[in-house]
Amino acid sequence: MLIDRIRTNRNALAKSITIVENNFASASDILKETQCHLGRAHIVGVTGPPGVGKSTLIDACIRECRKLGKSIAVLAVDPSSHLSGGALLGDRVRMAEHASDDKVFIRSVAARGHLGGLSATTLNIICLFDAANWDIVIVETVGTGQSEIDVSEIADTTVVVASPGLGDEIQAIKAGLLEIADIVAINKADLPHSDLTMSELTNAVELRHIAKTPKILKTCATEREGVDQLVAEIIKHGAQVMQSDRSESVQRRTKKVIARVIGESVAREIRNLHSIKTDDFASRVQRGELNPDSMAKKVVQQLISYLADKDQAAK
Amino acid sequence: MKKSNVVQLTDPKPENSKRLWEQQYKQQVTQDQQSLNRSGIPIKPLYTPEDWGDEQYASKLGYPGQIPMTRGIYPSMHRGRRWSQRQLIGYGVPADYNERLLKLLDAGTTAVSLIPCNSVYRGFDADEVDAKLLGTCGVIVNTVDDMDRCFKNVDVATLSTAMNDPLPFTLLALLLAVAKRRNISWNQVSGTSNQSDYISHYIANHMFFRLSLEGSRRVLVDHISFCQKHVPNWNPLSVVGQHTQQAGATPAQAMAFTLATAIQYAQDCIDRGQNPDVFLERFTFFFDISISFFEEVAKCRAGRRIWQRITRERFGVKNPKAWRFKFHGQTSGVDLTRQQPLNNIARVGIQAMAGIFGGLQSLHTDSYDEVLSVPTEEAARIAVATQNIIFEEAHCADVIDPLAGSYYVETLTDQMEEKIVGIMDQIEASGGMFKAVEHGLIQQWIGESARQFQDQVEHGEQTLVGVNKYQVEEDGSSAKPLMRPSENVINSHLETLARFKANRSQAEIGVALTQLQRAAQDPNENVFGAIVDSICKGLTHGEVVHCLREELGFGQPQTIL
Amino acid sequence: MLPQNYRPKVIVTKIGLDGHDRGSRVVAAKLRDCGMEVVYTAPWQSVTEVIRLAQEEDADVIGISSLATDHLLIPDLLKAIHKAGLSHIGVVVGGIIPDVDERQLLECGVARVFHPGSSLDEIAEFVHALSIQSRTQSLQQWEEMNNEKI
Repeated sequence: MLIDRIRTNRNALAKSITIVENNFASASDILKETQCHLGRAHIVGVTGPPGVGKSTLIDACIRECRKLGKSIAVLAVDPSSHLSGGALLGDRVRMAEHASDDKVFIRSVAARGHLGGLSATTLNIICLFDAANWDIVIVETVGTGQSEIDVSEIADTTVVVASPGLGDEIQAIKAGLLEIADIVAINKADLPHSDLTMSELTNAVELRHIAKTPKILKTCATEREGVDQLVAEIIKHGAQVMQSDRSESVQRRTKKVIARVIGESVAREIRNLHSIKTDDFASRVQRGELNPDSMAKKVVQQLISYLADKDQAAK
Repeated sequence: MKKSNVVQLTDPKPENSKRLWEQQYKQQVTQDQQSLNRSGIPIKPLYTPEDWGDEQYASKLGYPGQIPMTRGIYPSMHRGRRWSQRQLIGYGVPADYNERLLKLLDAGTTAVSLIPCNSVYRGFDADEVDAKLLGTCGVIVNTVDDMDRCFKNVDVATLSTAMNDPLPFTLLALLLAVAKRRNISWNQVSGTSNQSDYISHYIANHMFFRLSLEGSRRVLVDHISFCQKHVPNWNPLSVVGQHTQQAGATPAQAMAFTLATAIQYAQDCIDRGQNPDVFLERFTFFFDISISFFEEVAKCRAGRRIWQRITRERFGVKNPKAWRFKFHGQTSGVDLTRQQPLNNIARVGIQAMAGIFGGLQSLHTDSYDEVLSVPTEEAARIAVATQNIIFEEAHCADVIDPLAGSYYVETLTDQMEEKIVGIMDQIEASGGMFKAVEHGLIQQWIGESARQFQDQVEHGEQTLVGVNKYQVEEDGSSAKPLMRPSENVINSHLETLARFKANRSQAEIGVALTQLQRAAQDPNENVFGAIVDSICKGLTHGEVVHCLREELGFGQPQTIL
Repeated sequence: MLPQNYRPKVIVTKIGLDGHDRGSRVVAAKLRDCGMEVVYTAPWQSVTEVIRLAQEEDADVIGISSLATDHLLIPDLLKAIHKAGLSHIGVVVGGIIPDVDERQLLECGVARVFHPGSSLDEIAEFVHALSIQSRTQSLQQWEEMNNEKI
């Protein structure tokens, strides 16, 4: 059985990820077979601005999780180049000491046009790890903006990483990231002003009266300080979330996947639809003959009738 | 037509002559391509007194050994004392090194170098790495016995040794232990810690980077202060522009990075209470000399001028010896090609001349076959002969700073100076060299320059003879047998090392290790002093490096694309 | 079988002791600019680490850069690749490789050795073609294994 193979064979798991990632012919078989094995893994999203030391922190977390006997998979999402579509995938968390540990699996994927955010395929890869019986699945996203929101939508626990001396980035964290965070880690706590950052974020949380109050703590990944506490918090939070009905959170995740797939395939169909003259629409919007809203409706209508025609022709 | 030309050529008015030349030049060169040197400075077809006039002589040039040092740091330069020919040696086991060293000493050499094996560079003892790699690129030196064997029948009191010895300077410590064993005063030990510039290792030569940035910062300052007190004839610091230029930096960038690094180190020493009038006298520099001939000459001259200004104006140094920009040059390995390798002999000759005209104090010329493998003895001999030909046959160094006064060279020297200072200002604005490398700024610049140069080669804008032009069909039939230490020799060396480790008193070793740990933990202790102590008590190179990596942080260089 | 726009996954790394990485950095950037997905590592990887990386990243090609004598470890790497069941992965080597050693590397299964002065376009083209070949083979193996099970 495929499910046994991806649970016992590292090569098989890696290959099935590639097949799903590239949507090769056998991808749907793999997804079908893994679908009924979901819900066991604790999905942890780790996000934050570049340069706060996410990777070093994750590396330290791997070490802590292993001490607790948990198996851990990491999916690191890196941006693709807009110009070439290629990508440089960091090999940041792969410390030598994990190289001989069977209970650690690290995979980098390129965002491929999703601005560092999560594509449907990325979500599917998370499901593969889940089905393959990994206790904890960490999803690392780089950058700021939409991507962090994506992570929180599918993660059981979302960790936002900040560091002292961030400048404008701290505003971004206060404005948006705090709302999605279950835990905030102020990394590089050995730097000056870490107390300042701590109180700044604590105040921001108090002022906002947001529904979930994130736990804020300090870490210093390079010195391995505070990491045990961070991991304990992650696991504690996970235990709470996972007490509730797992099928519900799996369903939530599946819904996200479906919504993503629908969105992506509609966009793809529209791009492939030669009868839609985007230039023409643009100039009509520019001339004021159409507003973007009604233009969008027209495009969708055209797509529907095109698909209906295609269906008819097939019959 | 002919007639009018004759008339105009003898036109007494200079502005008319200039206009005529411009016309004629345009007629002959219809499509003048914009030519830039490697540092990005536009190169014109002709330079005249309009570009650089003699009225600037006193302020820009002056006399050799005098401010602003453009013409050289000593009054007599190579006429008085020829540059040192310092060839890199190091291969196999200590006995191999010793054999080679004795040959060189017989031939009259007074300045030697010691290149350790890559395993040593990475901070390991020989028993910690794959035996296949041992001794292939340098000599294995881990213990005081190894160092003693390297210098068997050699008087270390009269020899000047350049150690390729990155932090925490275990090789110097081993040498001092040998001196102690032979009852030689450390006052008599002379030479240079050649790879002491950890910033250059962090950004460009990652193999040499052993301790964390902050840990390195402390060890270097302690090392400088220890040598000042106990090994006064040792140059504890060589600030290196060679690594960055080999990694892709332009000549102007490499000079700027080096000077900015030297400022950082000087400031670190001052912050720890040291006197710049004293320690700056022992600062030395090390540069790559590429084949961009005039640019390299200008780079060296400009560097000298900027450094004396920094020492005097920024650090307020009064001691004239501390204004001197002493530097070693090495011909650039990345300019050499695998294709038609004998062409490299010509390249090295041109590079060497650039360095000599640039006023260097010591020179290593690369062997033509370095791009094929570890150099053969014949190729190393040709490399030395190249220096002798330039000096003795061609008389290239009879006159001090012979290119001075050339409109082109002086203009270019000024332009390079401006370019270098501009880059240094950017580094200063980002918080100094230490901060700039922590943030990866320098690494990014180097990467961009490397890619740009590669692009120029690929598009044929920069010719490489035999590579992108004038290629010939070559087969590998000229391949020479490789110099590799035999398995037996390596195995017997490993046995010697095992015996050394087993014969020590484990209790004493434990104490030495604890003392080293304590010194590392206490910022008021001189950690280099503790290293020397621990080596004298029998710790090995690898043991010291591991201990300091644990206490002061492991050196993980940033890899930025 | 493989879609036209398949993005090769390539590891660019250095094994052994040397740390000169100008070459590997320039090549990694070039491969990315040609649309490939490149996993770039710091130098000094061990054979075990590279195998693990290749396994988990499911790489098509491993590119090894060597300036000193670290290429002497490459035969061990190839043995380990076969042992790990990753024989479909193509291995290319770039750097200063003496002719005598090049012959040995090719004999033990290295697809190609690039010397200083090689054109980046040529390297990228070769790596791309090798990746397609490697991925096709890997997918065939996957199908065969699945069919066996049924």
